[in-house]
Amino acid sequence: MQDGAVKAQDVPHTATHTSRRRTGKGWSGFRKDSPLLLLALPGLLVLILFAYLPMSGLILVFKEYNYNGGIFGSPWAGWSNFEFFFSSMDNAIRATRNTVMLNVLYMLTGTFFSVAIAVILNELRGKMFIRITQSVMFFPYFISWIVIGAVLFSLLDFDKGIANKLLTAVGAGPIDWYASPWLFVVVLVLANIWKSAGYGAIIYYAVLQGIDPAYYEAGRIDGASRMQLIMRITIPMLIPSIILLTLLGIGGMLKGDLSMIMGVTFLNPLLLPTTDIIDVYVYRTAIRSGEFGFASAITLYQSIFGFVLVLVANKLAGWYDRDSKLF
Amino acid sequence: MATHDQRGLIAVFYGSIVFFSLICLFPFVLAVSGSLSTESRLAAEGYSLLPRGFTLDTYRFMFASKATQIFQAYGVSLFVTVVGTISAVLVTTAYAYVITVRSFRYRNWFAFIAYFTMLFSGGTLPWYILATKYYHLDDKLVGLFVPYLLNVFLMYLQANYFRSIPHEVTESAQMDGAGHMRIFFSIMLPLGRVGLVTISLFYALQFWNDFYLPLLLVSDQNLYTIQYMMYSMMANIQYLASGANTQISGVVIAPPLESAKMAMTCLTVLPIAILYPFLQRYFVKGIIVGSVKG
Repeated sequence: MQDGAVKAQDVPHTATHTSRRRTGKGWSGFRKDSPLLLLALPGLLVLILFAYLPMSGLILVFKEYNYNGGIFGSPWAGWSNFEFFFSSMDNAIRATRNTVMLNVLYMLTGTFFSVAIAVILNELRGKMFIRITQSVMFFPYFISWIVIGAVLFSLLDFDKGIANKLLTAVGAGPIDWYASPWLFVVVLVLANIWKSAGYGAIIYYAVLQGIDPAYYEAGRIDGASRMQLIMRITIPMLIPSIILLTLLGIGGMLKGDLSMIMGVTFLNPLLLPTTDIIDVYVYRTAIRSGEFGFASAITLYQSIFGFVLVLVANKLAGWYDRDSKLF
Repeated sequence: MATHDQRGLIAVFYGSIVFFSLICLFPFVLAVSGSLSTESRLAAEGYSLLPRGFTLDTYRFMFASKATQIFQAYGVSLFVTVVGTISAVLVTTAYAYVITVRSFRYRNWFAFIAYFTMLFSGGTLPWYILATKYYHLDDKLVGLFVPYLLNVFLMYLQANYFRSIPHEVTESAQMDGAGHMRIFFSIMLPLGRVGLVTISLFYALQFWNDFYLPLLLVSDQNLYTIQYMMYSMMANIQYLASGANTQISGVVIAPPLESAKMAMTCLTVLPIAILYPFLQRYFVKGIIVGSVKG
């Protein structure tokens, strides 16, 4: 799901002074509001339990975690977790670099392919053809990473995989994909395109459907070729959406997809130099191996910088287009 | 000459779309073909687009040796998807209704409380400790859906659908003495059903495909979902071999590991593939409504 894609009017304006009749204050107000509070209660509980209390759990970083004490009962550790964090900066830098690198690559290639598909579909006329191919290209979005991982394995397996069959056929020799961390970045990027390009194309195609055909007619009368129409009308029409989605995407740069890496690499240690994103790092060290100190520091760092990024992204988006501001 | 040029361009356009569509289908053909191949030829000659020696032995083997686990995992996935989706839709639509009631003084507060969780998150680690040590959701069926009961993005999507219902409708209902409960259940839910269908499908997809919650919370094999069962199969090739040398029609065969992975892939995707043609237009609608306006 795209976190960023929320319309401006959804977002609360903190100071709304309206003359509209509001529910009353005091006890009578509470009685009037109580059905609403009751309706909101389950959702509120979910938010508190799974979003707000985990935020308070970030104090973990100042604790020397032990299981019995838990988050709130473990002894205070001062700044020692941070010292540990800075003393093994290499891990943090590698995890951060991998997270940002993969996200940037996903965003650039994903946007490119989504836009390309949308633009090409916009040029084609066969209604049935468009509908069928669009459905086919959208289908991978519905497939879980673990299934994609299983199929990728049949493509990339050293002896039995199709990729190596083809490579040997053209004399390029077999490649041990699951032992080549940098080549595997290409695999991840391609897998991401495969899974999400059709999804992205839907958004851009919808934008293109809204273009007034008069622009194209005017262009044609002026003798523009099809390619010129694409470059001068179609693409410029998409630029605002592209910029906007990209800016909003900046907010998610530090978020990693644990399911994707787990599903596709099975935490293969040979691939960790490029696939050890922050979320994978936390999973490996803390949840699997029980070393909470360092993981808590990197979690806090991810939360805070992630928050800053979202604010920056929103600022940029708002600066670009007032209406698209999230808050 | 211009027309000739254009015809070439159009051909390239059609060609590239057909090519990408085929790429999108290719892995599924590969999986189906792999699951129908004989294990020996698959091991010797590798995967291919056409089955190597057509056989149903793999499926026979799977259902002979792993039937209980497969049905169990299907059952867990189905339960989580159905119960999870119904509860999530109720929780989400109720919350969405509350933040769209114009006369409610605290609606902006509620909207902000939900919205803020999209900006700031405590991350996996505190979440994991709370879920396991404090809420005891590990190895519990409820642990596989309760954390996902309110997706803020889908909540806002539903709120948009509710806002598109003219508020004269609710106002006149209020005049007639209907309370918020009544309005929500008998007016808003039926009128907002387009949104309801859309968010239900997004939730159902999320629950069916989820692998994050079982990864963090489940170690009991009885609670494996179909996705997680697949993961443990892939991560631990020996998993299947535990039921090895099962007798199928009197002949002892080695466990078909490679083809079994492909058979498992097919079984996992099957329900989605069956429902997809009927449901995809709702997803398209939801994506377009939910995305930033162009």
